[in-house]
Amino acid sequence: MNGIMTLARKEVKTAFRDNIFLIIIGLFVLLSVISVYIGSSTKNAELQAYQDILHLLKSQGATSLPSPPAIYPLSVLSNIVSYVSMIGAVVAIFLGFESFSGERNNGTLKLIAARPVYRDQIVTGKLLGGGMVIGVLLGIILIFNLALFVLVSGMTPGINEIIRLLSFFLIAFIYMMGFYAATMYVSIKTNDSAFGFMLMMIIWLTISFVLPQLAESQRTFAYALNATAQTVTQVSSDTVASKMTELFSPAAQFQNIGKDLLQMIPETSNIGLGEVLLKQIGAIIEILIPGLAVLLLSYKAAQKEEVL
Amino acid sequence: MLRTENLGKKYGDFTAVDNLNLEVKEGSIFGFLGHNGAGKTTTISMLTTLILPISGNANIGGYDVVKDNLKVRNLIGYLPENVTLYGDLTAVENLRFFGKLSGVKDVDASIENILKLLEFTEWKNRKVKTYSKGMRQRIGIAQAILHNPKILFLDEPTSGLDPQGTKELRDILLLLNQERGTTIFMNTHLLSEVTKLCTDIGIISKGRLLLADSIKNIEKEFPEEKSLEEIYFKIEGAKR
Repeated sequence: MNGIMTLARKEVKTAFRDNIFLIIIGLFVLLSVISVYIGSSTKNAELQAYQDILHLLKSQGATSLPSPPAIYPLSVLSNIVSYVSMIGAVVAIFLGFESFSGERNNGTLKLIAARPVYRDQIVTGKLLGGGMVIGVLLGIILIFNLALFVLVSGMTPGINEIIRLLSFFLIAFIYMMGFYAATMYVSIKTNDSAFGFMLMMIIWLTISFVLPQLAESQRTFAYALNATAQTVTQVSSDTVASKMTELFSPAAQFQNIGKDLLQMIPETSNIGLGEVLLKQIGAIIEILIPGLAVLLLSYKAAQKEEVL
Repeated sequence: MLRTENLGKKYGDFTAVDNLNLEVKEGSIFGFLGHNGAGKTTTISMLTTLILPISGNANIGGYDVVKDNLKVRNLIGYLPENVTLYGDLTAVENLRFFGKLSGVKDVDASIENILKLLEFTEWKNRKVKTYSKGMRQRIGIAQAILHNPKILFLDEPTSGLDPQGTKELRDILLLLNQERGTTIFMNTHLLSEVTKLCTDIGIISKGRLLLADSIKNIEKEFPEEKSLEEIYFKIEGAKR
């Protein structure tokens, strides 16, 4: 356990000494803060527009007034879903791409392996260290966003909102750790850090953009079919093809969970957290399973002599 | 201190080390000589428990390198070839990390002692990436001896060092051997270094040990050869 913690602390220290990593983190935090600011301002503008209409109608002597727009406080933070899905994944890839290959190239992996630690402890230490960095990063973003949310919107989130928000960040942590574990596995298997990084970026592009885009094009096709046919029996916009395509994209699954948790879907905005999680259990498993699978593969691969 | 019996290693069809029988006495400085690809690094990798032999056995301080690998790792210090360490960390941070991994109890006090011994205190808080090759090699030695190992394994320790750096490293190794009684096992292909530093040598070629003895005995055995270089080429040439 001592060795694992020593390795984890070293991972944290070296990550926060890397200037490029710090720039990426800074960008991540900055974008998330801007997104909250934009989200809060939009909501404030919506409320202001409602107040203006109300004022106008009252001045004209109208008796029937429109009901106020439904305000779901967490939807202000909705852009975070996209930022974590995209930049969060890049942060995790950047954090892990040299975890083994970098150590192998500078000779330190041999120095570690020649000490009284087991190979699986090395993997665990690196995983824990990566987890600590990602956890700290998400924690900072959570605090920044909550503070800004309260400051800009003037609303205080209730206990239900806070629990939903914490659940979202927990899912975000699992999502980013999946990318970190996958990158670590690639780093164990390849000597070339640059190749490992490029490979993971291609995987990221595929599951974050290409697959969701394919699924979306299937939906658009269904919509066009309905519009053209004009029949009573309409084709569901979520076709089997679009669902199957999304099934291979943890990024799309993460976005689906995020939308429900951050009250972006009116139908699920008022239901309990348990119900949301139950509804999204398939998506949660889909985010969890690939991460666990590559982690197990990492433990196995780290035992081999070639890893040094 | 170190004994191998019929130690062997293959990579596919290629025999990297073939039935190696070797003995290194406690307190000696053993130079393991051979040209590139002779099997020196494979041997040191097996002895430092990094790779598994396919045949034979080796023990260090009475412990088997395969069965008791964790115990062996407590006894050894190791400096591979061309180690750059963690460039973004300082020397002290690097040493603290490796010291803690080795289970050194009062790690900060040990670091201070080692840095004093290596006359490195002045630069200890600078990031390693700002060091010269020679300075990095000294920190490399420091991490290898921090836990006071019984035997120190060095793989081509003078590789890439200038003459000044080479001399400094040689002085450090002699100091360690004389003051701490550390046994040193050193892979090298530089005969001049071996002459100045080692008490014993082994010559390996194509994975086979050609000769292993003290330098004194070897010189007696080859009275006609004027230098170790001549002896080396005679043995290598004769047994190729």
